[in-house]
Amino acid sequence: MRHDFSPLSLKGLSKAGDIVLPGGEGFPRFSETEFIKHFGRIAYYMNQDDREGFKLLTAMMGVMPSFIVRFILWMATMNHLFPGPLGAVLRQINMGVRGVLFTMYYSGVDGPGKRVLKQLNYNTCINTPYTEDTEMETLLTQNNPLNSPMMFQNSHENPGPTEAAAIFDKARSTYPAIAALTVKERLGFITKLRETILHRQEEIVDVVQKETHKARTDVLISELFPLFEHLEFLEHEAEKALRPEKIATPTSMMGKSSNVWFEPLGTILVISPWNYPFYQAIVPITCSFITGNATVYKPSELTPLKGLVESILIDAGMKPEWVQIVYGDGKSGVELINQRPQKIFFTGSVGTGKKIMGQAAQYLIPVELELGGKDPMLAFEDVNIDRAVKGAVWGAFTNTGQSCTSIERLYVQESIYEKFKQGLVEETKKIKIGVDKDGSADMGGMISERQIKIVAELVKDAVSQGAVMLTGKDWDFQSRFIPPIILEGTNHKMRINQEEIFGPVLPLMKFKDEAHAIQLANDSTFGLSASVWTHDKERALRVASKIVTGNISINNVMLSEGNHALPFGGVKDSGIGRYKGVHGLRSFCNMKSVLADSDSKKIEANWYPYTPLKYTLFTGLTQALFSMGLKKWVGLVRFGLPLESHAQKAKRD
Amino acid sequence: MTVHSSYDVIVIGAGISGSFLAEEMALSGRRTLVLEAGSAFTRTNYPRQEIDSNSRLYWGGGVELNTSATLGLLRPKVVGGGSIVNQALVDRFDKSALDSWKSNSGINYFNTDDMAPWYEKAEGGLTINEIPAEWRNGNAKIFAEGFKANGYTCAPLQRAQKDCRFADGNDCIECLSGCRIDSKQSMPVTTLRRAMKAGCQLISDFEVKKLKTSNDMSTVGGMWNGREYSFTAKKIIMAGGAIGNSRLLLNSDFGKKLPALGKNFYTHPQFMVLGLYDKEINAHKGPLQSYKSYDPNFRLKGFKLENVFAPPVAISMLIPSFGRQHQSKMKSITQMACIEVAIRDTNPGRITVNNDGKSIVSKELNHTDEQRKKAGMDAIHAIFSSTGAREIIPGDFGIGLHLMGGCNLGVDVNKSVTAPDFTLHGHPNITVADSSVFPDAPGINPSLTIMALSKMAGAQLIKEGR
Repeated sequence: MRHDFSPLSLKGLSKAGDIVLPGGEGFPRFSETEFIKHFGRIAYYMNQDDREGFKLLTAMMGVMPSFIVRFILWMATMNHLFPGPLGAVLRQINMGVRGVLFTMYYSGVDGPGKRVLKQLNYNTCINTPYTEDTEMETLLTQNNPLNSPMMFQNSHENPGPTEAAAIFDKARSTYPAIAALTVKERLGFITKLRETILHRQEEIVDVVQKETHKARTDVLISELFPLFEHLEFLEHEAEKALRPEKIATPTSMMGKSSNVWFEPLGTILVISPWNYPFYQAIVPITCSFITGNATVYKPSELTPLKGLVESILIDAGMKPEWVQIVYGDGKSGVELINQRPQKIFFTGSVGTGKKIMGQAAQYLIPVELELGGKDPMLAFEDVNIDRAVKGAVWGAFTNTGQSCTSIERLYVQESIYEKFKQGLVEETKKIKIGVDKDGSADMGGMISERQIKIVAELVKDAVSQGAVMLTGKDWDFQSRFIPPIILEGTNHKMRINQEEIFGPVLPLMKFKDEAHAIQLANDSTFGLSASVWTHDKERALRVASKIVTGNISINNVMLSEGNHALPFGGVKDSGIGRYKGVHGLRSFCNMKSVLADSDSKKIEANWYPYTPLKYTLFTGLTQALFSMGLKKWVGLVRFGLPLESHAQKAKRD
Repeated sequence: MTVHSSYDVIVIGAGISGSFLAEEMALSGRRTLVLEAGSAFTRTNYPRQEIDSNSRLYWGGGVELNTSATLGLLRPKVVGGGSIVNQALVDRFDKSALDSWKSNSGINYFNTDDMAPWYEKAEGGLTINEIPAEWRNGNAKIFAEGFKANGYTCAPLQRAQKDCRFADGNDCIECLSGCRIDSKQSMPVTTLRRAMKAGCQLISDFEVKKLKTSNDMSTVGGMWNGREYSFTAKKIIMAGGAIGNSRLLLNSDFGKKLPALGKNFYTHPQFMVLGLYDKEINAHKGPLQSYKSYDPNFRLKGFKLENVFAPPVAISMLIPSFGRQHQSKMKSITQMACIEVAIRDTNPGRITVNNDGKSIVSKELNHTDEQRKKAGMDAIHAIFSSTGAREIIPGDFGIGLHLMGGCNLGVDVNKSVTAPDFTLHGHPNITVADSSVFPDAPGINPSLTIMALSKMAGAQLIKEGR
């Protein structure tokens, strides 16, 4: 939780902290440690006037010499000697300052607080195992009328044709108001949105974790952190990226100016997947909004995060009709596409992508498709094995493997294969599985029941053809909590190396040399991203250039998408188009080409009438203009000037 | 502000009374909505560190003060209210308490016979147990020994708990911020859950700011997630506690017609005293509370003693002063026993609101109350001294956590706020049955009686509705 206390107030509080809690006897001194970092956890919940009073008091302490602060605190403990209002104020100071400091110090906050409790020999526990109270959690969600999307003017559920039409009518009628805002004005909302998300971070993590069964850290590092990077990218770069771009004007058009304007398209339909439900909501919504479009957003029916996105957009001050949210399954998607949005931005599976493009083709709606991947990792013999192993394990299993850029095929050069394999198995066995509340789990559960079945089917298929599970043998092929599985002995004929697994399974294979590695990497219908791991920089670039893919990381994994200034998208079955970065932002725009001439008496040479003389002069001019050097300029004078002059007076007989 | 939905009944506050009444209403088929200013937690997500349990489960970020800053008022702000943060002590009122209520309010049903069936009904929905003798901790032992040594009488506490499974090594002090094994019979485990299963709706984190009432329809308005919402209902049940109810009614201009509103406020002022021993007491281990005083003499003198403890932040606040000496005292936290005196206060306080609508609580001890406190303190000193304490540290300030009155029951419109049928005088569509209706301080833990009164009020509403 954040607070709005000034650095001076915090200095005053720290000063008082060292007087009240000087440490010794094994206790840390207050300011030696990071207790003050936890102040927001109290300040945020204080009564407004208490907070203002406390700000003033601590700011005063910030400028006072320590001995005066000590004196004030001492006076405060002597409160019983003072009757009336003075005594009351002293007691308030005594309770307030000591209370806040003791709370930060003796609460057992992570790190220093735990050390303090240890020093006190104070240790309490609940040892009886307890499980989630799913019954009450469901009741709390279902029985809250404000969680019902119908309470929000901008949400809809399973719309039929009439409601879908109304949604797009609303979008089309609100679009001019968004388009009329300058990019800078729109950025005001983006800043407010970033602050809202920062402020509500823990709540968001809770909601996402509940619907996805993810490890808490996965939610934080792969949904929220990159989201902030994206929003910050917009704040820094959007104005520049969307400013009219001046383009060179050819010599033949001397005196005119050429520009590209990045205008909104109108209404954008965003259809998002379930693997990163919050990130994949806010990133496309903000790309669509910042470029001036009205947005209709449909989350996956598996992870709707009902009410969350609406309330965050509203907290950011955005009008409900700017972004309308539609809950529902594929049928709702069909209804929405029938309303002919100006563009469809879809992230999801190849199968659904094909259906969407098929339907969009009827209306010639442009589509942006971010589809699946089958990302190869190539580890060459000169690589730092320990590091590459750790990278592979994270890249394969982060988000429980439910990421379009997860490593799905790991190729290791023969000479280091055994050593690599041993490390891989060891590291994988260390992974802690669970839906944690404190960041202690590495890997959560699967989001989609259907996907569990697909993973089970692919693994069983591979095993039946001789593949061996080096880890994860204890999985019952049903539980949501699939242990990380390393598969050895698979080949490209098996489905596991052809279809997207989208789960925590990593087939491990060998390659002989560079050519073999490239051939294996490219032997896939997908081309989303890949990674090349080698100490030899030249080899890295050489291999990277030969892999048919949209994104590539060298000596790292899933890193290219980490830079929000880089465009992201795939080739082959991995999709069409790019999003993120300047290129991606512009894909939400109508790139309008503008060539401006001035109003004058001048008649263009290429206008009617055509005359034999014009033809002769044009022939000479064409020859000259598209030649090089002096000839060009001489020709321009020789043919251009007479042509211009002829054009002004030529008449049709 | 647009009206978002209409209900048969809106309950303001999801504490003990609100939950009991919500259950009655929902089970009788009424479309019911509960609005609660605090957040909802379940056993997996109760705050685990004192810094969060103080700030997230109580108003004002942990503690609010009376005007003279002599009492820290602990006012729960969470779905489940007091039942989340208390130790689930459930006691029926005795003749002394009910007699006093009867004479103060002029209401005849305040007698042990008439109340008995309602107590039974209240107890029926909960599992109530004693802490098994074998698990009593060091703090409880000192309490019992000291009582014996001084010829006082004590008794085991009755607690609304199912099975604390002490054999697993559980420490009840953790449950002060919500019981993670759902042994404590908190409202979300019991009545509120039953209400919600019967279709009762609940909005948490919704602070009601205004209440407007006319003949057949009342409107409730407040904030949720930064937006204003309002709801209407035929009946309103106010269950926001003494301060919450008084504040909302005062802010909604009920003060003019109800001259007693906000008056007659009691808190059972409690004073914790620490006894320092040379041996390990480990008062924080196992069951937190096992005994209460059961001494007719104490009752006569207007106080009771309880065997309590608190987590480190609270203990550090009780120890006066600061600096090295304070920290070195803290180091003996596992060698501390703790007894608290709670007095049956006679001097009523008063709740008012300032221009910003914030509640202001004036509440002082009069001479009688001071005498009661002193008598209790003397008894605690005797207990600690007789059991070998090397030092006795009276807590730095008093605590008010039984917040009662402000909307007191009575027949006289000028001296009371709530009529014998639990409706506000002159407002038959507003029902109140929580601790705010207490006519005076009973000197006994209030929660079971809040439940019984809520059952009575619920029956009244249902009877009327037929």
